[in-house]
Amino acid sequence: MAAAARPLVSVQPLPGSLNDMATDHVTTVALPDVMKASIRPDIVNFVHTNISKNSRQPYAVSKKAGHQTSAESWGTGRAVSRIPRVSGGGTHRAGQGAFGNMCRGGRMFAPTKTWRRWHRKVNVNQKRYAVVSAIAASSIPSLVMARGHRVESVPEMPLVISDSAESIEKTSTAIKVLKEIGAYPDAEKAKDSQAIRPGKGKMRNRRYISRKGPLIVYGTEGAKLVKAFRNIPGVEVANVERLNLLKLAPGGHLGRFVIWTKSAIEKLDSIYGSFEKCSEKKKGYVLPRSKMVNADLARIINSDEVQSVVKPIKKEIKRASLKKNPLKNLNVMLKLNPYAKTARRMALLAEAERVKSKKEKLDKKRKPVSKEELAAAKAAGKAWYKTMISDSDYTEFDNFTKWLGVSQ
Amino acid sequence: MGEEATKVAVPESVLKKQKREEEWALAKKQELSATKKKNAENRKLIFNRAKQYAKEYQEQEMELVQLKREARLKGGFYVDPEAKLLFIIRIRGINAMHPKTRSILQLLRLRQIFNGVFLKVNKATVNMLHRVEPYVTFGYPNLKSVRELIYKRGFGKLNQQRIPLTDNSIIEQGLGKHGIICVEDLIHEIMTVGPHFKEANNFLWPFQLKAPLGGLKKKRNHYVEGGDAGNRKCLQLKQNLTPTKFGGNVITSLLECVFSLS
Repeated sequence: MAAAARPLVSVQPLPGSLNDMATDHVTTVALPDVMKASIRPDIVNFVHTNISKNSRQPYAVSKKAGHQTSAESWGTGRAVSRIPRVSGGGTHRAGQGAFGNMCRGGRMFAPTKTWRRWHRKVNVNQKRYAVVSAIAASSIPSLVMARGHRVESVPEMPLVISDSAESIEKTSTAIKVLKEIGAYPDAEKAKDSQAIRPGKGKMRNRRYISRKGPLIVYGTEGAKLVKAFRNIPGVEVANVERLNLLKLAPGGHLGRFVIWTKSAIEKLDSIYGSFEKCSEKKKGYVLPRSKMVNADLARIINSDEVQSVVKPIKKEIKRASLKKNPLKNLNVMLKLNPYAKTARRMALLAEAERVKSKKEKLDKKRKPVSKEELAAAKAAGKAWYKTMISDSDYTEFDNFTKWLGVSQ
Repeated sequence: MGEEATKVAVPESVLKKQKREEEWALAKKQELSATKKKNAENRKLIFNRAKQYAKEYQEQEMELVQLKREARLKGGFYVDPEAKLLFIIRIRGINAMHPKTRSILQLLRLRQIFNGVFLKVNKATVNMLHRVEPYVTFGYPNLKSVRELIYKRGFGKLNQQRIPLTDNSIIEQGLGKHGIICVEDLIHEIMTVGPHFKEANNFLWPFQLKAPLGGLKKKRNHYVEGGDAGNRKCLQLKQNLTPTKFGGNVITSLLECVFSLS
């Protein structure tokens, strides 16, 4: 990758007599690729918890503790419990229980041993990944602030100062430099936070605790600034070729405030290489690749490439409604069968008609018949009878003439 | 959004998105108006079909009555054609069944007690019914039963899912390719076992009926023995029980009085 593709970090000039680039104003350095590596708090946490076990000193109880008696169990039959008891007599100690972890003066359960596995092995690549992540996190102001460093007045992150700082000899100038570049509030915070540790650590040679201040990383070996800066409370110094994860991510938390010198930051490229180029100092090591190159999901989703093939949003989602009985609910019935309305109407009308005509018929029957109607009905009956006879045409047959009463 | 007049530059992607959304809105509007028109036409068609079916059913009944009267007049008898459609209801539960009869009931889609299905009458189905007689009761439904079953308890099978028949569009989706687009069409197809009876019947999910109110007579016995299993044919001659209101079409009354339907 060309250096032009990487953003430029401006080198902060130092005040007064140290300023050897008075004519040159502000120089810039290309951001090293390490700062663009993926930040993996999980890896840093894992590596940190394991690495921090490596400087432990073993502890154990005395291997003789609790066994410096010739105790023996009295056995059964003496109305006492069966644990081994101290032999002999003439003293309180005689007959007391011994050896067991429950006994007074007995040995503890599982006496601690010095051959406990104190140190942890971590894969080299994981260790490097963690350091690389921690360096990358140190260049992000929000992470650094989240870790608690007071970087509000720092002009730029990552903070790079000119190499003239490496020849600082006096602590007083060191403090002046820190003030000039805006790193003093952080050192001040560390100084103010000095307190006595709560807990038993007090009496175990860990009496004082304080916050961590800035970490100064220098490039040239044997630089004088080590001696100048190391006595300032909270401030730590490190050579860029020997960066310690325990210093870059104290407590396993990413984002230590790091102040780089110009030569240090220029060396970073050769120590860690880039995403394609192998490192020069670490054999065959390439910076780790991230899972997603562009992690800005919002930008990706709203990009034209995605939006052009996306389907329109369905705003009206049809949900299943309660089923209503069409045989009871007319409107639901009409939705299914529009003819139902006319059918029902016709049925109702027909019913009304039937009721009406039945009523009429009954009324007529129940009403007494008038004389004219009676006469008319009788005459009609007679006429029909006559037609019936003539229709049947039985007059040819002798048998029928006798009982039909045909008048021919 | 920015206009061309002001100095605010609108990103190109935003412009493209706007254009796309306009196109979508237009397409949607057109689609909406098209479906509206189609629905209106469909409605008319459904109305006419329903009217035609109503006339057809009435005609059939009248014809039957007329033929019977004519035959009686001539001194002969009118023999009704054998029924084409029957409705089966599973009477018994699922435990302790012979595997072969179990398979037959599964084929008939009667997997649960008080499940009901319509069935075409032919040699194959009649033989199947004979083998599962002790587990089912069946009879020949009339128009009223078929209508009420499909309206009240009708569910269709769409996409392997049991969807209630709340709208004609559901039926059109399932059976549109056979020309059945509304409930009345479906009822007609079932009632007069039409050419697409198989598809129409299969579209109908097996009816999940309620247990009969008032109870069954006696599950373990056959209908002729005074129980419930088997064919519920009207047995005027053999009936020496109290004359029940189970006259006429027995399956109708079964469904009304025994299974809660209307």
